Amino acid sequence: MELAVLAMAGAAETPEEQRSVIEAAKSGDLAAFEILMRQHERLVLVTALRLVGNMPDAQDVSQEVFLKLYRNLRKVDGAQSIAGWLYRVTVNAVRDLQRRKRPEAPMEFAENLPAGGTDPQQAATEAERRRALEMSLRMLPEKERAALVLRDLEGLTTEEVARVLGSSEATVRSQISKARVKVRGFVERYFRSR
Amino acid sequence: MMNCKDWEERVALHAGGDLAAAAAAGVERHLAECAGCRMLWSGIKESLELLQGAHAEAEAPGIYTAVRGRVLGDLQAGRMPWWRRGWVVGLAAAVAVMVVALASWPVPKVEILLPRVIAVIPPAPAAQALQAVRRQARGLPYRRRVVSPEQAGKTPRQPLMVRLVTDDPNVIIYWIAD
Repeated sequence: MELAVLAMAGAAETPEEQRSVIEAAKSGDLAAFEILMRQHERLVLVTALRLVGNMPDAQDVSQEVFLKLYRNLRKVDGAQSIAGWLYRVTVNAVRDLQRRKRPEAPMEFAENLPAGGTDPQQAATEAERRRALEMSLRMLPEKERAALVLRDLEGLTTEEVARVLGSSEATVRSQISKARVKVRGFVERYFRSR
Repeated sequence: MMNCKDWEERVALHAGGDLAAAAAAGVERHLAECAGCRMLWSGIKESLELLQGAHAEAEAPGIYTAVRGRVLGDLQAGRMPWWRRGWVVGLAAAVAVMVVALASWPVPKVEILLPRVIAVIPPAPAAQALQAVRRQARGLPYRRRVVSPEQAGKTPRQPLMVRLVTDDPNVIIYWIAD
């Protein structure tokens, strides 16, 4: 599996060095585990943030994911395997968190969201645009959001997304296309209403 | 009339570059003929670019540091020797408090019942002893007087000693009674 390991902070490290770090972490070396965390923390935290939509929950999810990684280090072999494992566990941890919390408003209610103001100049500010885009993600159903985040924001291939989500490629392609159409609809409605 | 709903999925996939060359060429031909699908395609591309641009910003390093610190803190707490773990210290303190409380608890005194002296037979005074010897010599019964401890305390406690002199000057018999 050719996962796009965008999180690899130590890009200069050789695969041998990577393996030795993983082996040291497996033997209980916390310093080695910290190196592993530094290499993959962006992957976990940013993916979690894109899925849950707020930083405190994303940090909680990241903490849970890394603690699970430490307990399951024997199940992962190399950096690519760790990245795939982390994506899968992050998506599952977010799913668990959202099941514990109140369900979000479905996409159909997006057009009823209150507009932020009437001044078109103000509407064009970057902060507002970002907030609107964040909202468009949060309006998506859970599986479509995960597929879109992994494919369009994390840059995984459709095959990799299917492996992470445990779905077929056809299902993932359907989810991605639906999510893209919904996000486009939300963005157009939001910015036209300003 | 062309049904654009049938093209929606392919157009959306094409906008994200997810179609193989042959399928992409088919969508391109359709887009050249259909203004509605062209709008959909360009709208999806634009919204994806906006979304990717909005998420391109890097998060502050402190956020990663905080997560790392929490994870390492949890792991170090889990690997601490048992005598340094918080719950062990708490348990030891609770046990110590219980021991101190039990030690300072008032214990009821156990009364040891000793035999109580209700009367003593005091030694007979010399005069009485002599009288007793005389009475015995006459074949009369010897009577001893029973007195209470209070009365006994008033009576001088002197042992009775009787010296019997025999014909043989070397033999003297002492009879001592308490």
